[in-house]
Amino acid sequence: MSMRPDMMSNKERIDALLKGRPIDRVPHFPFIPGFCARNVGYPIAVMYSDAGKSFDAQQKTMEQYGFDWGPLYGYASYGTWEFGGTIKMPEGDYEQAPAHVTFPVQSEADVAGLQLPDVKKAGCLPTAMAFSHLQEKSDTPISVICGGNFTIAGNICSVETLCRWMLKKPDLVHALLRLATDHIVDLVRYWVETFGADRVIPQMWEPSAANYILSPKQFERFVLPYLQESSEKILAMGVKHILYHICGEQNANLPYWAQVPMGDPGLASLGEEVDADTAIKYFGDTCVIIGNIDGKVILEGTPESLYRLCTETIAKLKHAPRGYMMCSGCELPPASPPYNVYVMRKAINDAGWYE
Amino acid sequence: MASEEKTREILKAIQDAVVGYDEETCERLCSSVLEEGIDPHRAVVEGLTGGMERVGELYNSQEYFVPELLLCADALNAGLNVLKPHLKIEDAARKGKLLIGVVEGDIHDIGKNLVRIMFEAAGWDVYDLGNNVKIERFVEEQKKANTDIVALSALMTTSMLAMPKIIGALKAQNPGVKVLVGGAPLSQEIAQRYGADAYAPDAVAAVKRAADLIG
Ligand code: B12
Repeated sequence: MSMRPDMMSNKERIDALLKGRPIDRVPHFPFIPGFCARNVGYPIAVMYSDAGKSFDAQQKTMEQYGFDWGPLYGYASYGTWEFGGTIKMPEGDYEQAPAHVTFPVQSEADVAGLQLPDVKKAGCLPTAMAFSHLQEKSDTPISVICGGNFTIAGNICSVETLCRWMLKKPDLVHALLRLATDHIVDLVRYWVETFGADRVIPQMWEPSAANYILSPKQFERFVLPYLQESSEKILAMGVKHILYHICGEQNANLPYWAQVPMGDPGLASLGEEVDADTAIKYFGDTCVIIGNIDGKVILEGTPESLYRLCTETIAKLKHAPRGYMMCSGCELPPASPPYNVYVMRKAINDAGWYE
Repeated sequence: MASEEKTREILKAIQDAVVGYDEETCERLCSSVLEEGIDPHRAVVEGLTGGMERVGELYNSQEYFVPELLLCADALNAGLNVLKPHLKIEDAARKGKLLIGVVEGDIHDIGKNLVRIMFEAAGWDVYDLGNNVKIERFVEEQKKANTDIVALSALMTTSMLAMPKIIGALKAQNPGVKVLVGGAPLSQEIAQRYGADAYAPDAVAAVKRAADLIG
């Protein structure tokens, strides 16, 4: 492969981007655990159960395919296990990530008995912490990934129960969102105390608040205030940037998302459902935009169609006021053809240079 | 016996109770159907199902979202529980039998549940296998329940890859069974390629496509 040589190391590029200084080219942001497992011959479950192997597989794959940033640990069903339910690690040919099996809250009465998890011991957190120690050692950004407040609440009692209670028992929904919010703050505080506020860049994924499920009015009433609260508390700890993965169709929620403080700059990770102009309109002035290459094209598109999509997206977003990092719109499908993953980096090489 | 005018008034009120997700009123109105000597089958079709059809339209036009739709279905079920024991056997013969589930590797079940709700509302017998359902289970349960249709849902490009295998296994066991597929990453074109008999983009269309299939 003949790539134009970089003028900055990955770390220099990311540091400069976050400090608002010029960079040499668009960074390639990873959202790829399942693909990494396959790439090095591990079962996908290992990415979530074994910090060392997960980190190793990601680091090797990122080197091979030219990703910036660094390995990440987390999954969307976060919260079920930590609050006392059970999850199942992915197995077989089709599973991609951990899945909830039983929810900690099964009835209205269960809500009152629910307690905040011990962030040192609960669920996946010991593994997540071991993973972050590896991030620290390798001098890559230290992440702590959990759900957005609403997604965690949905993972505690099931999204459908949460939906029903929104209309019938809003107090229960507020009680769960209170716990989710307090937990997020506890969790990030533990990471900040361990690694320092400067090093920690939390990630919150919020798929369950998508407009496939909620109306924008429901988002405004039940989701926005809690997002604002946890964000403000995290930033008050000295954390500089928070990444929000605004998963799925959330166009009608974006005016509210724009009111959530995400740091300076914030990091707004968007799905393919949001077009480039809209992304810049709502987040351009405050956030680095991350996204939003359609996973279906990465998995099933021809290399030519994927290359076109990537170069066009780069052209539209590269000059976003606070910067842009190219990434799949959500997790890159694990079975994506390896050549297509290379094509994404090639598109950056051909269209992503500044000057 | 209630007059036709009174009957229509009650049926319209049942529809409104479903649309307004008013479980208690719906239940009460269905009891009054029995007291007034109105045909319970007509109350199911014109009242409950009619209401749920309006709910489906409101969902498709984004006036209703998942929370409203779930509660409308609860109201419908409350009414149905009152009327069911009073349906005559020939009326109770349902529209068709459907087996539904989310394929292996996938726990996204909100869409599947909406599809199930619309089938139930339209008078189908529905067997729901839940989410993350293995290939062999679809085959076994189809045989057991001998359903006309199997509906497969997948929300991930990863998990939808299981569909052609499931379809192959189902058809090998029972060449007459029809398979309907759906979920965000699916399309008419993919459905055809996978050997499915039909595809529908949403829960309302799913019921129509299924009705066409068993003609
Ligand atoms: C909410 C959500 C979640 C919730 C799910 C909660 C639940 N109980 O379902 C949680 C947080 C748990 C979750 C987890 C994950 N998610 Co998710 N999630 C979503 C999201 C944002 C919305 C899905 C939804 O509920 N929609 C609402 C319903 C009403 O719509 P629907 O399902 O499309 O159904 C309608 C139609 O499709 C149709 N239909 C549906 N089924 C059927 C069946 C038939 C027969 C027919 C005819 C029609 C039909 O009718 C329905 C009603 O009209 C989607 C985004 C998207 N594009 O869909 C991502 C999405 C599905 N998730 C995604 C991912 C990657 C994940 C995770 C792997 C993330 C991770 N790394 O942990 C995990 C997977 C866990 C697992 N093992 O399955 C990706 C999948 C990418 C891919 N591979 O293709 C998506 C597409 C996001 C994206 N933009 O890329 N997620």
